[in-house]
Amino acid sequence: MTFKTWIKTITFYDLLVGMKATMSHLIHYRPITLQYPHEKRTLPDNYRGMLALLRYDDGTEKCVGCDLCEAACPSRVIRVVSAEVPGEPTKRYSKEYYMDMTRCLFCGLCVDACPVDALGMTREYEWAVYDKRQLHLNKQQLLAIGDRSFPVREKQLELQHPNVAFFNVAFKHLPQKPT
Amino acid sequence: MTELSLRLAVSLAQIAAVMGIVMLTVMILTLAERKVLGWMQDRMGPMEVGPYGILQPIADGLKLFFKEDIVPAGANKAMFTLAPILAMVPAMIGFAVIPFGPALTVDVFGITIKPFVISDINIGILYILAFTSIGAYGIILGGWSSNSKYSLLGGLRSAAQVISYELNVGLAIIGVLLLAGSLSLVTITEAQAGGFWHWFIWGARPDGYFPIHTQIFAFVVFVISAVAETNRVPFDLPEAESELVAGFFTEYSGMRFAFFFIAEYANMVLVSCVAASLFLGGWNAPYPGTILGYIGLEQLAWVENVAWFTFKVYLFLFLFFWLRATLPRLRYDQLMRFGWKVMLPIALANIVVTAITAYFFPR
Repeated sequence: MTFKTWIKTITFYDLLVGMKATMSHLIHYRPITLQYPHEKRTLPDNYRGMLALLRYDDGTEKCVGCDLCEAACPSRVIRVVSAEVPGEPTKRYSKEYYMDMTRCLFCGLCVDACPVDALGMTREYEWAVYDKRQLHLNKQQLLAIGDRSFPVREKQLELQHPNVAFFNVAFKHLPQKPT
Repeated sequence: MTELSLRLAVSLAQIAAVMGIVMLTVMILTLAERKVLGWMQDRMGPMEVGPYGILQPIADGLKLFFKEDIVPAGANKAMFTLAPILAMVPAMIGFAVIPFGPALTVDVFGITIKPFVISDINIGILYILAFTSIGAYGIILGGWSSNSKYSLLGGLRSAAQVISYELNVGLAIIGVLLLAGSLSLVTITEAQAGGFWHWFIWGARPDGYFPIHTQIFAFVVFVISAVAETNRVPFDLPEAESELVAGFFTEYSGMRFAFFFIAEYANMVLVSCVAASLFLGGWNAPYPGTILGYIGLEQLAWVENVAWFTFKVYLFLFLFFWLRATLPRLRYDQLMRFGWKVMLPIALANIVVTAITAYFFPR
């Protein structure tokens, strides 16, 4: 032990350096705390929050009941019961649509998988509930989330090209698929 | 007979006042600790209850008061109940001999009382040491009677730690006692009157300025040992969160837990008072006399004295928080080695040096 280290030991030099550091933080008090319920952080643009089902601007559901979201989901959150639209044999819709949000990991694969952009990720994240059964959402609840989070709805696309116009099955006046 | 009952009434009033002040200080401390710790760690501390969280102690107290009182299965119920009381009473009882202000006397209905000290007994500091040692029993019994491994380990650690560092506290103050020639805290404080160079940390003789009797080493030993004795960071091995859940009060809840909690903070206040009285001149201002006395308000000089005492005590309490914000916990062997192989020789050498200087240069 050299003389210098000995002096440092008996004068608690290293402790004093640390105490100077804490004191400087006390004097230059700049808290990084965000008072959460009162002030909220700005979310990034690509924030992936609560999932929601969307509608077209005329109020019809976008979902065509294709089950691709169910297939894409890694956590098996989604369960779709697909059915024919009554009276329109070529068009399908999701008769029942369940999401078990207790399992969801917000990866967004279902949103990517959806061919008609019927799923959206909102910016809601305050979904703490006392009873976890409240996180088992049905179609009406998911549509309600979509209604309140996406007030500006997409216009229903009307396919004009004859090769794809058969997708517009709801519009019976449009031309048939060419044979 | 009437005089006796009057003395009793006055004493009880004094005790009630001191208890109230100590409890208030404890309440302030619980908030101040969290605030200061938060500020030092770039946080805010409690902010929700009241403006800037200043009502947090009241909310905590109410919470603890209404919490369920759980006695663990297999616990020794009598000891389990006794332990918090045994921890809190010694912490509170020590304030009986602390002089909060100047040793003036007031005549009330024909009897003479000292308003700023409950009882100026001539063995004051010995009395405090004796009772703080009893406080260790509360911790050990609390740890043992909980019927829990962690509590028992915390209690055992506390026993070893308090014994080791109690010794250093006792030895560190001997130098002061040699110089003051008394065990009464009032006499010790009066011996340091007349400016900060007469405080025992500096140790000038009453007629000089040279620090011939300096007790600075004893002061450092005392402060470190006091931190260890009150089980505070960095010597908080009895309640080491990361190792022992909460140490000796792991199994305690509700008001029993609150008793341990109050005991810890009251002990902090007590050792701060003792350190201020012994080494920093107690109620004496760092300049001779008092400013209020100089400007002709001699009967109000006690206000300034009490303010200085409060300031010194809070300085020590801030040091406690500061240490807690800075230092990590010692390992157990480091704690023991530091106590027995570093602090004890320094304290002993201080006694020898002080005795020699006090013999050749008597005060």
